[in-house]
Amino acid sequence: MNWTWFHQLGSPKSFYALTSQWLPWLVTVMVISMTAALVWALLYIPPDYQQGYTTRILVIHVAVAGTSLAFFPLMAVAGTITLVWRIKLADMVARNAATLGAWFSFVTLATGSLWGSVMWGTWWEWTDARLVSMLFQFFLLLAVIALRSAMDDNDKAAKACALLSIVGCINVVIIKYSVEWWNVLHQPNSPVGMSNSGANGPEFWLPTLLMVVAVYLFLTVSLILSTRNEILHRERKAQWVRELLAAS
Amino acid sequence: MKPHRQKRLGIILFITAGLAIAAGLTLFALRQNINMFFTPTQVVRGEVTSGVNFRIGGMVKEGSLMQAGDSLQVQFVTTDFVNEVPVSYTGILPDLFREGQGIVAEGQIDISGIFQASRVLAKHDENYMSPEVKAALDAAGASSENYSMALESES
Repeated sequence: MNWTWFHQLGSPKSFYALTSQWLPWLVTVMVISMTAALVWALLYIPPDYQQGYTTRILVIHVAVAGTSLAFFPLMAVAGTITLVWRIKLADMVARNAATLGAWFSFVTLATGSLWGSVMWGTWWEWTDARLVSMLFQFFLLLAVIALRSAMDDNDKAAKACALLSIVGCINVVIIKYSVEWWNVLHQPNSPVGMSNSGANGPEFWLPTLLMVVAVYLFLTVSLILSTRNEILHRERKAQWVRELLAAS
Repeated sequence: MKPHRQKRLGIILFITAGLAIAAGLTLFALRQNINMFFTPTQVVRGEVTSGVNFRIGGMVKEGSLMQAGDSLQVQFVTTDFVNEVPVSYTGILPDLFREGQGIVAEGQIDISGIFQASRVLAKHDENYMSPEVKAALDAAGASSENYSMALESES
């Protein structure tokens, strides 16, 4: 098998050139979908027959929470590339993903708490496996960030973080299935699309799906932008970066 | 793929598989401790030692809610549609609390077999419906799983 394309994409210079072409498109689609999803969710979504207008939190909470589960798998793939192929770009992506993932987990916990305080009658329950496993993900992401900044040697830090990211994927499975494996206060995963009973119709899942798309695009754009910054910083002595900076 | 890369990939897969199995076994062994609450059936079967604080989770039985006129004291029956446990609570209930709705209560069983709750939390299910859809479904006689389960318990 020919692996040249793989190593080419992994070169910071070609990644920078490629993303320069992608970014305008990605940002445009992101802004449009995010605006549409927010307006839909905050102004036009119908109330739930029992929970009223907390459906507005639902759209944001579900989209952010679902997306937050993507960070450990993403970091694990990047980490595996770092460990096996020693491609530096993969580590730059993993590093920025950890920070972003911590924010996503935090927003998940915050919106969930707000919702819980209104509906369940409690902000937080230490005995709920879904809540605690999500908090664990937040702390694990902080641990990845701390581990990196605690080590002076860049390569060693990258390897250690890669291993921790791979291990962290186990927790993602636990978060996902916590509501099925154990008795918890948190609701089970709502089915995607309308159920036979007529619940979860398009008036709820369509804005949620749109928000999921918008949030994933936000993740992609943020990750690309922060990785480009890091490329410029790490490669600041390279010829192509100097030329780029001189030109701008 | 070059041999040394294959070897590294092999080590990573081995470590991941080992940790996943370890985590799986640990969680399986701890499953009862991770559960947030006992069901009424577990309580009736005597799986909970008396005099100990614990949480019970179930549906509020339709027609079982009794409110004291002059205080915040309430009594209701929690059910898993197999067994029932009466609950007594004094305090403010969450807005979502109603008959046919899931709850989790924290407290103790007293000698007369009544669960004396110190806290009551409302649980909601994964089915969302607008009031119009709900009304249309009720009119058509079809209904959500939750609702029909509540009806079953009444009859």
